[in-house]
Amino acid sequence: MESLLRVKNLNVTIEGKEILKDISFEVMPQEVLSIIGPNGAGKSVLLKAILGILPVTGGKIEFGKGVKVGYLPQRFAVDRYLPMTVEEFLRLKPGVTTEQIRESARALKLDASFLKKSLASLSSGQMEKALIAWVIADRPNLIFFDEPTENIDVAGQESVYQLIDTFHHQLKIAVVLVSHDLNVVYRYSHRVMCLNQKMQCFGAPIEMLTNDVLQRLYGEHAVFEHHHHV
Amino acid sequence: MSFGFLWIPLVIAALLAAIASGFVSSFLILRRMTLMSDALSHVALPGIALGLLFHFQPLIGGLAFLLIGVLLIWRLEFQTKLAAETLTGVIFTTALAIGSLMASQTDLLEAFFGDLAHITLGQMALQAGLSLVVITIAWKYLNRIVLFSIAPDLAASVKLSPKKLELVLLLLIALTISIGVSFVGVLLMSSLLIMPAATARQLARSYKSFVGYSVTFSVIGLTGGMALSAFFPVQPGIATVLVSAALFVICLIVPKRQMA
Repeated sequence: MESLLRVKNLNVTIEGKEILKDISFEVMPQEVLSIIGPNGAGKSVLLKAILGILPVTGGKIEFGKGVKVGYLPQRFAVDRYLPMTVEEFLRLKPGVTTEQIRESARALKLDASFLKKSLASLSSGQMEKALIAWVIADRPNLIFFDEPTENIDVAGQESVYQLIDTFHHQLKIAVVLVSHDLNVVYRYSHRVMCLNQKMQCFGAPIEMLTNDVLQRLYGEHAVFEHHHHV
Repeated sequence: MSFGFLWIPLVIAALLAAIASGFVSSFLILRRMTLMSDALSHVALPGIALGLLFHFQPLIGGLAFLLIGVLLIWRLEFQTKLAAETLTGVIFTTALAIGSLMASQTDLLEAFFGDLAHITLGQMALQAGLSLVVITIAWKYLNRIVLFSIAPDLAASVKLSPKKLELVLLLLIALTISIGVSFVGVLLMSSLLIMPAATARQLARSYKSFVGYSVTFSVIGLTGGMALSAFFPVQPGIATVLVSAALFVICLIVPKRQMA
């Protein structure tokens, strides 16, 4: 099976500071790959470098043939007075058609009234759904999801993961997920990457997320807490 | 003031200029660039002064200086990582000082507050033509500029170049200011660049209606202001500001419909 994405010896330096060093991995079709690591480990930077939002200082990023990429950024704060409906927001995506907007709304079980809602009036959970509708509108086969660390209620968070899980199964989309929740990593992902500037682990979560690895990644205190969840 | 036979082309030029600035105004509010664009209008001053000194169209001089100004801001913004707003502050005060040195007191007053008495047919044609250019570019880039303004990361992820869009936006601002200053003057350019969209935002529920209201208020403001200045001894820039301010206040008072 040919990989959707191949990253080789990737280095990213921002303003003289080395953020990512020698990162190499592949993403296979239909897999869910989680990236975990402490704050400032370079998780979001990795996604942005792959997407071409941030420049890379070294290494190679190759996408497979016919790969269509979607991106859910970590932060999408909308000006509270922005006069724009959800539908208008979705239409901003270059090349998207009315039919595609309707289809992605249907897939997310969003009714017509949701599309007419003002973007600024959405709750954080609803906003996440609007963003997912944006991402799946042109049917990508590889999604990068930078999980929000805050501002999403538990109910909203739960449904966002279920949605991503659904897409993964229904639409055969591969997902690269930056996660802060080891529960989610265990439950939804096939492989996990531990990141802290360098790659500390890469493989099946059950094999990789050992006490030893987590301790190295987060420090002793954090391991205890995370373990408690699992 | 009386404009004789020129009033029809004048109204056409003003209408097109108002539509163009209504459009650009709506971008500026999204980008929070409104005051920056107002400051930028002063950059036109040395060019206007040169036009008056050497007897060529002040509009062309103003446009030339604005284009140089925005290109400088654009280059320096990516080079120095200073905010466009900060760079505008540096450039506009410099231009203001140079322009004030070059122009006479009466010319300055004219440049500051706008003057319709000396407007020529050639200038109106130029204004109308440039307005059409602004409207066309704004329409073509509408979605891209809006996306880039509200969600830069999403824009970058669909391969929109922030550098290019920033340049398009700055050029649109420069063109709009050069068209507008001869109507309302350098000092009061914000009546065309800030007030229409500020008023529109109070009423709009969707982006489409926001742009629509913004263009409408810009047209009412400018044509209303010009009409007032034709019948009363008041400069068109001042009259336009007053009409635009009145519209803003009316929209503040009018009860708002429920949010969707």
